[in-house]
Amino acid sequence: MLIHIEDVFVAYGSPPRAVLAGINLEIEEGEFVCVLGQTGCGKSTLLRLILGSEHPMRGRILVDGREHHQPDRTRGYVPQKYSLFPDKTVLDNITFGCEVSEFGLFARLTPAFYRRRKQLRAEAFDYLQRIGLRSCDAKKYPDQLSGGMQQRVAIAQALMTKPRILLMDEAFSALDPGTRRGMQQLVRDLWKATGTTILFVTHNTDEALRLGTRVIVLAKESVDQGSRIAMDLSVPAPCGDEEIPSLVRRLELVSESCAL
Amino acid sequence: MLWRFSTLLLLAASAFAQKPSFTVGWSVYAGWTPYHYMNKSGILRKWADKYGITIKVQRFDYAPSLDAFVARNIDACTMTNMEALDMPAASGVPTTAILIGDYSNGNDALLVRNGLQLKDLPGKKMLLVEKTVSEYLFDRAMTLGGLREQIKRVRMINTSDSDIATAFIGDANASAVVTWKPMVSQIAKQKGVTSLFNSSQIPGEILDLTVVRTDVLSRPDGAGQKFAKALAGAWFETLAQMSTPGAAGDKVLAAIAEGSQDSLASYKEQLGTTKMFYTPKEAAGFGASPELKQKMALVRQFCFDHGLLGANTKSVDDVAIRYPDGSIQGKPDRVRLVYDLGYMQLAAQGKL
Amino acid sequence: MSVGFLLIHARPQRAWSAILSWFLFAAGLAAYLWVAQARHRENPEDRVTPTLAQMATGMYNAVMQPAEEDEAAPPAANFYDRLSHSMLWRDTRATSRRFLLSLALLIPAVLLGLHMGLFPYVGVFFLRFVLFFDKIVALSLLPILFIAFGIDELSKIMLIVIGVTPTIILDSFNLTRGVPPEQIVKAFTLGAGDFDVAYRVVLKQVAPRVLNSIRLNLKAVMLFLFAGEMIASTDGLAYRIALLRRHMGMDVIIPYVLWVALLLFLVDFAMRTVNRKLHPWFHEA
Repeated sequence: MLIHIEDVFVAYGSPPRAVLAGINLEIEEGEFVCVLGQTGCGKSTLLRLILGSEHPMRGRILVDGREHHQPDRTRGYVPQKYSLFPDKTVLDNITFGCEVSEFGLFARLTPAFYRRRKQLRAEAFDYLQRIGLRSCDAKKYPDQLSGGMQQRVAIAQALMTKPRILLMDEAFSALDPGTRRGMQQLVRDLWKATGTTILFVTHNTDEALRLGTRVIVLAKESVDQGSRIAMDLSVPAPCGDEEIPSLVRRLELVSESCAL
Repeated sequence: MLWRFSTLLLLAASAFAQKPSFTVGWSVYAGWTPYHYMNKSGILRKWADKYGITIKVQRFDYAPSLDAFVARNIDACTMTNMEALDMPAASGVPTTAILIGDYSNGNDALLVRNGLQLKDLPGKKMLLVEKTVSEYLFDRAMTLGGLREQIKRVRMINTSDSDIATAFIGDANASAVVTWKPMVSQIAKQKGVTSLFNSSQIPGEILDLTVVRTDVLSRPDGAGQKFAKALAGAWFETLAQMSTPGAAGDKVLAAIAEGSQDSLASYKEQLGTTKMFYTPKEAAGFGASPELKQKMALVRQFCFDHGLLGANTKSVDDVAIRYPDGSIQGKPDRVRLVYDLGYMQLAAQGKL
Repeated sequence: MSVGFLLIHARPQRAWSAILSWFLFAAGLAAYLWVAQARHRENPEDRVTPTLAQMATGMYNAVMQPAEEDEAAPPAANFYDRLSHSMLWRDTRATSRRFLLSLALLIPAVLLGLHMGLFPYVGVFFLRFVLFFDKIVALSLLPILFIAFGIDELSKIMLIVIGVTPTIILDSFNLTRGVPPEQIVKAFTLGAGDFDVAYRVVLKQVAPRVLNSIRLNLKAVMLFLFAGEMIASTDGLAYRIALLRRHMGMDVIIPYVLWVALLLFLVDFAMRTVNRKLHPWFHEA
């Protein structure tokens, strides 16, 4: 069991308003889980709980059998925006994780660092090709790339450090539909190739069905109650184009009926 | 038409009725604070009315008062003989000294820590407002002590007079300070501080004057003359009240002290080191003595040596001084500062 | 001209832009010369508004003559020797030293702001105090500064520190706070530690903005430095101006003021260039 979530409760504000209540969830190694729900239902909160940047008020979250109190290398992260460091080139963004975790501030001054960096750069170029960028893009800064390209680099950056879990928070929501389709294909391919467990938060039902092996719908039963898991759907094989419209309708019905 | 003509007449009449108006500026110093009382008590107004003019009195900080005088914004101003020479006179504003109020007789002093002597000062740190009478006093102290050559070796630190007391008290590395009262009294109270030299050792060299622009005195309508006479009359009447012995005099002194937010005791202490010329006879007598010329010669040489007469002044004689006996120090065609005893003499004769 | 020249959509031609942008300079100069000439006609020895020739002489003396405090250079000295003994050179050197020292002292201020923005305990410890200190009018504390730090360099530099650093601290604090939280989380998930996040992610990102904020505060630094030099000093540009003011040496003061403006402009320009070279990715919004 890679992720174990047990009776988690989260509330914000004062007086506190429940966001998540009584969440129980188990995620196996190698799953591709899409978390679906309407805006404000707490799906990003759930992601941040697993990330360790937020903590539940009740209940506990175990990743690989341990509680984590802050984000670390075991869980990679691709947010919707600001995922790349604007001051670093594409290449440096991709190698940053390995450089920073293997070499401290002063170890960077040793020759070993430069030898290792050479290896890392070769590896990064490899990734660059896999995500569909040209090698001349390596020297560019993030703001010289389109939004889709930026997110591709962000995924490569996160995968470089080989995390056990990749957490993606509305990673494609800011992209136009055409680009989005390509990105979905890329993530699906990378997931197959690396076997990384992925938790993908989205509000787009179509996207969830195309990507995940499992779709979880979060929804509130009433306004002042926290969201619960309203549906846990297993998707053994990727849905074909003809099944999707009817499935989307079904899922959205669940999501809306609960949200009043 | 008739109506318009009559307004014109009215305007002309009111212009005639407008009395000539003059402004005198003063700054806080024991010898000049009487101006505050002179104005407040109505003495000045009485004399102005007598001569049919209006006199306004304005208080300044010292440096701005000089600037205002040079810029011709005021007609008369209080200043020392040194500044009269290096500010208005050297800036091409011919100036006439009409009143000799007093000379510093201990108001300015050189104070040291740890019982140092003059010969110990080279290499030491000294606080003072450079290019003022403070530096002049130090120059004279060293010269009289036979240490003229050593002056350059003293590390002078130009320090604003408003901060000099705290700066010296706070900095144990500063060995010496040259300044004037009331700062001197404040610093002298500190432990281990002694006075090494003060202006009573160079009597009559630091004079406190009331000066008027020469072009005001020579106004064609003669109002400038009236202004000078009224000032002289009011001045000596004030000084006479000040020097009345007993309670009546104290009351006047207290009112004067109030002009600088000072106490009677403190003001009296300052007067103790100020040689006031209480009577016009004394004042005019000092002005007529050959001493004045000797002292001014020292002052003007100091000013020239320190570039205070302006970078473009090539010779000390370019800013000439004329004395009451008609003798001139410097080039006769470049007289910029005039000592005029006429008004003090009129006062002495009771002819004002 | 189809669009009126005072409208937002007006498009000034190149030549016109050049003429208009220099017009106020020319007008200012002309007005000065006119006043100076008028005053000199009335009083040939006027010192309040020196003519250009007088200023040139004053400046020539400032550049070529040894400063009064300095030992006179040997008469046969060459140009560079004379320059190194000159008033202007001595003053510029003294002021620049203090100025650069104060700028160097802003570096710890930036780092403090960074740590306050990132580490909650550092933040709560300092923030309230710095906010309070930022509102203190440093000049009014001078007597205390004199007593605490003496009247030498230290008190002048402390004046700048007290006057300018709170602003810089708060600025870098706010800039640090402005870094999107995603960036910090991302860095942690990539394996960065606290100090990697502080120095290799956040500091590098805010650096260009911090440099800009320091550029905006250059004038404040100079202002405090001048105040300090005018109050107690033995050398420096403001010392000379304070001294010359006492006998209206405007023929030197005006060129000095222009020289200071030029120096400040050059420092600002250099910082802008360095900023652009060091941070090619940064575009001012």
